Amino acid sequence: MLNCPMHMDQWHSHLLGERVDQSSLVIQGNRACALGALDAGVRFFAGYPISPSSEIMEAMADRLPAAGGVFIQMEDEIASICACIGAALTGELAMTATSGPGFSLMQEALGYAIMVETPLLIVNVMRVGPSTGRPTAPSQGDVMQARWGTHGDHPAIVLAASNVADMYRLTMAAVRFAQRFRTPVILLADQLVGQMRESFSPELIGRYRLTSGDFDFTPGYIHPDLAREVHRPHVLGSGSHPHVTGLFHDDTGFPTNDPEKSDSFLRELYNKVAHHRNELCLYDVKNEGKGRVCIVAYGSCARTARAAWKLADQEGLPVEVLHLYTLFPLPVEIIQQVARRVEFMLIPELNLGQYAHEVRKMAEQWTTVIGMGKIDGTLFTPREILDRIAELIGKYESV
Amino acid sequence: MSLEIEEFLHTERLPHIWCPGCGNGIVTAAFLRAALDLGLKRESTVVVSGIGCSSRASNYIDLGTVHSIHGRAIAVATGIKMARPNFTVIVLTGDGDGAAIGGNHLIHACRRNIDLTCVLFNNQIYGMTGGQLSPTMEVGGRATTAPHGHVEPPFDLCRLTEAAGASFVARGTAGHIRQLEKLIKKGIAHPGFAFIEAVVPCPTEYGRRNGTANAPRMLDDERTRSISKAKAAGLSRQELAGKIVTGILHEDTTAPEFLQAYTADARAQAEEASAPAAKEQK
Ligand SMILES: Cc1ncc(C[n+]2csc(CCOP(=O)(O)OP(=O)(O)O)c2C)c(N)n1
Ligand code: SF4
Repeated sequence: MLNCPMHMDQWHSHLLGERVDQSSLVIQGNRACALGALDAGVRFFAGYPISPSSEIMEAMADRLPAAGGVFIQMEDEIASICACIGAALTGELAMTATSGPGFSLMQEALGYAIMVETPLLIVNVMRVGPSTGRPTAPSQGDVMQARWGTHGDHPAIVLAASNVADMYRLTMAAVRFAQRFRTPVILLADQLVGQMRESFSPELIGRYRLTSGDFDFTPGYIHPDLAREVHRPHVLGSGSHPHVTGLFHDDTGFPTNDPEKSDSFLRELYNKVAHHRNELCLYDVKNEGKGRVCIVAYGSCARTARAAWKLADQEGLPVEVLHLYTLFPLPVEIIQQVARRVEFMLIPELNLGQYAHEVRKMAEQWTTVIGMGKIDGTLFTPREILDRIAELIGKYESV
Repeated sequence: MSLEIEEFLHTERLPHIWCPGCGNGIVTAAFLRAALDLGLKRESTVVVSGIGCSSRASNYIDLGTVHSIHGRAIAVATGIKMARPNFTVIVLTGDGDGAAIGGNHLIHACRRNIDLTCVLFNNQIYGMTGGQLSPTMEVGGRATTAPHGHVEPPFDLCRLTEAAGASFVARGTAGHIRQLEKLIKKGIAHPGFAFIEAVVPCPTEYGRRNGTANAPRMLDDERTRSISKAKAAGLSRQELAGKIVTGILHEDTTAPEFLQAYTADARAQAEEASAPAAKEQK
């Protein structure tokens, strides 16, 4: 198994499998997500229309039946995720896609999927604000909801896409993680990433096919290194006749009120993600080791961060970029590694500092963590970020 | 309890959690006998329930069993059935689970006419949470949340499901065990969405507040209030008040079943998609 936080370069062979097509694609982010899902073997989609995510379900409606899969538009998002859970319990790879209001409706069932250890992919193409907010503007307002939205202590795997290529490859990675860890994986995108059109980056031209490699895709298979933490692979119709319940249960699958069993059950559920953090944390560092300031960014803000770094380079400002593709489990090691060497960590986010709080907890011992929030439905410009960096460095030097 | 149903029963999990006199066991046993009679296989039969006393039935049944979340059993069952059309999928639910929080899923499953069988245990109360009102409670009924008598009219779930498109609708009671068993059996065999309302006594939470907590008397009452569809046909609305109309109330074996329509359509799409490739090969 992979055992170090992964640099982008290491990804493709590990997570995407075999390249089966070399032709370059210019495609919308949401459609790239649907393609990634198909290439990863997703064969069940249930959803409910909502901007700015509907193109994912439209693409699946178009392509899945011919691929031998099943598509259904359900009566609401609760029904959608529940139908996905039902299909996943039979061993199918299932997914749904939505935006904030629908993601809120899914929370209870998401917890059920975690509790019964069902692999599942949920894509949330974020819009701005609580409630209906602004459906057609980008935001990163659901980051902490993705981590803690469903009630009770629980593990979470949350990835964030920053461009169209990510919508393809992170969808594939998410499916792998879901299968391996037998838990739902949440892929966060935003209106910009979901609805823009662009070509895949040069290192990712073409289409891939997940090959088993280190991963065994047999429904219900438990990887030996997870044997302690994954409980029961529930596969309906596989010859066994399991009982599946969202109540605390023991190894028989039946409910238990025993305090000791409850404690170990939940801890193991939590630890199966926590203990394998390193293989789940995908990131990329630009200008490694050369910055006094590190911009820590994810999603569409990472695009701006990269542009800001290029500008900074021209203007002689010492800037690194840590681009996070995995938000949860928290990429503690890489954040702390960078924190030890830079004076400032600057975190531009399209929210009021949700992830900056997380980074601060991990890094403030070594560096000054500064959040930059935006909630008006527009993006940061590279100049805005750069001005803030100049200000930070200037302030520091004048002290 | 007759011995034969033990085949599909987790006897090691008994005693069950239900109160003495609860009707849930009677309905569960009727379902198990129907399943045995039909020769259902463990490998291809899945029982999905929600949350409630009635939904706990799935805990004791030795088939594939999914004890899901409150109100969502039908949605989970829809996913299972669509992924595995050859499975027999049965939903066991309560009046709160299936008709309040899960009411929307119920009517949409009826509309699709998907080949599921839904047995709804109607005790007119929320048993598990301690006696709150339910959408099937009659006007004047007492519940912890209707301490002075309920003012809302109840659903007639059989009329509701028929109107929504279910192609098999029936009602039985825990007081008529053999009839209930037959209705469930017919419902499972029926190709399309089958809805069976099973009127059950809840002596603890409903009975104590509404006349009698004596279970045999509650079962007797169900029997005396029951009337067949044929007999009910001649009666006025007033005359029918308080009666339980039992039997098969609606059956249409010609209504298109969702999965068959879906599969035919998907096959056509797959053929269409592979057509150009086939041409290229020539
Ligand atoms: C989302 C949610 N809301 C509320 C509850 C609490 N709850 C558990 S069972 C139940 C009602 C069950 O009533 P019914 O379906 O009639 O079943 P009965 O217990 O009467 O058999 C409620 C409200 C819950 N588990 N989940
Ligand atoms: S509370 Fe009512 S429904 Fe629940 S077990 Fe007791 S008698 Fe049965």
